[in-house]
Amino acid sequence: MSSMRPYRRHPRTWRRGALTVVILAIAVAAAFPLVWMVLSSLKTPEESMQVPPVWWPGSPNLNAFTEVAGVVNLGRSFVNSAFIALVTTVAIVVTSLMAGYAFAKYRFKGRDWLFAVLIATMFLPPIVTLIPLYRLTGYLGLNANLLGVVVPNLANAFGIFLMRQYIKGVPDDLIDAARVDGASEFLILFKIVAPSVLPAIAALTLFAFVYHWNSYLWPLTVLQGNTDQYPIVISLSRLLSYNRGAMNTGLVMAGATLAVLPPVILFVFLQRFFVDSIVATGVKG
Amino acid sequence: MTGRQTRSTIGMLAPATGLIAIFVLVPMVLTIGLSFTQWSTQTGFETASFVGLANFADLLGPTSIGRDFRAAFANTAIYTALSVVLILPLSVMLGLLVHQTFAPGGILLRTVLFSSYMVPMIAVALVWSKLYSPTEGPINQMLGWVGIPPQTWLSSPRTALVSIVLLNVWQQVGYFTVLAVAGLTQIPRSLYEAALVDGASAWMQFWRITLPLLRNTLLFSAVIAVINAVQVFEPVALITQGGPVNSTNVMTYHIRRVGIERAQGGLGSAMAVTLMLSLIVVIVLLFTLLRDRGEQR
Repeated sequence: MSSMRPYRRHPRTWRRGALTVVILAIAVAAAFPLVWMVLSSLKTPEESMQVPPVWWPGSPNLNAFTEVAGVVNLGRSFVNSAFIALVTTVAIVVTSLMAGYAFAKYRFKGRDWLFAVLIATMFLPPIVTLIPLYRLTGYLGLNANLLGVVVPNLANAFGIFLMRQYIKGVPDDLIDAARVDGASEFLILFKIVAPSVLPAIAALTLFAFVYHWNSYLWPLTVLQGNTDQYPIVISLSRLLSYNRGAMNTGLVMAGATLAVLPPVILFVFLQRFFVDSIVATGVKG
Repeated sequence: MTGRQTRSTIGMLAPATGLIAIFVLVPMVLTIGLSFTQWSTQTGFETASFVGLANFADLLGPTSIGRDFRAAFANTAIYTALSVVLILPLSVMLGLLVHQTFAPGGILLRTVLFSSYMVPMIAVALVWSKLYSPTEGPINQMLGWVGIPPQTWLSSPRTALVSIVLLNVWQQVGYFTVLAVAGLTQIPRSLYEAALVDGASAWMQFWRITLPLLRNTLLFSAVIAVINAVQVFEPVALITQGGPVNSTNVMTYHIRRVGIERAQGGLGSAMAVTLMLSLIVVIVLLFTLLRDRGEQR
């Protein structure tokens, strides 16, 4: 072996170095749009209009950010987005835990059939149900109102599926022991089952929060142009029409940077659970 | 089953099942029913009048209704096919880079790729509309450095749809990469060790072991990629409004425009049903083409 080393070592080191360079190059290219977004938000309007484009802001400043606040009601939009994302996320976690528990641990007639129907809705593009849903929320008096954004999204099939996958792994003995002690089913779910599937709860929290923070089609439809109720993503789209052309690039980029921050920050903290949950639902499912 | 068990089963299932029934299943059934009617979205369901297959006949007919719809359908088909064809190989290639431990940087790459999946599509559309800018955008500038002439990107009917596909691939590929990594971790190491003993090259190992064993992962990825692709809306609504010359008018945008903005609820529903049926056909086709046929391989 030792006599082979000098021959093998050199090409191995070289190949490792080359592969590292390739990986870093792809990472840089993939990060480029977001880096460009942040850099552009710090440029002066003159820099944004230069041809060829300037990459690095000469005198970085936050003027664009204060200007955004003058064009759209930034504070209100953020509160609206936070309301939508938080309420749906909490509700989805609770309803998914309950239904996931029932599908994982109860035996009842029609269980697999009901589960299949629910899972099928996971693959339904929202546009297919958009038109009647819009009328339905109108009947319920929810249109042009934040509640109209939230109410149809308090439960989803993906959450149920994810929770069922994880709760299946909770030992039956643990649940039976609590039943013998006379604990109610809800107590068992929230005191025993939920704490043992915390990674799944973390993943679902991230999925639901990001999905509803980012969602655009349904809020745009149900809010009927009521700008007071707009979440940040819809307010952002108004920035572009506010002043078309290169003049407003800094403004648009500042708005985009602000909207991107909450989901990306959440992702940085919960990344591990997210990736694990994709493994659990994507492959074994 | 005792009474207590029945009660807790119903109690646990009622919230989620009830909500999904009211806000997904009922609208689904309504969409199908409304597709056979003429109905203004501004009025109650009771105003819908049965017209049989007239809406579907319009979609296939020679009027502008049919022409616009078929253009949107074709654009969506092209968009979907391009997305899948780009995303699947990229996700496997990037997945191999993230999964390998020979060189450092895999986790960094995964983090960067997945971060863009967290970004609201509306922000992606805004940023890319500036990146694509023919004169002030950095993409044409970089192309210039390597001697490629400036491209028209979003401003020409020839390139607009492809430009939107590219920004969509950038946003989504991180998710599919993680799916590919999940598939790669399921492949037993012993297979590669045996192949090494037999003197199989890395190239051969990829085609004979890795790719065949990723079949189910790729099937799942393809289905998700198709379903995601037909949902493209934000870049079209925000930047191109379906143009230039209808070249980016896609189904989600078109159905919303007809069914909500023009309030032609019956016609819009017929389009939604057609989209749903086409999706089912595509997914069934993907399953028959890609599903693991057990012993045969």
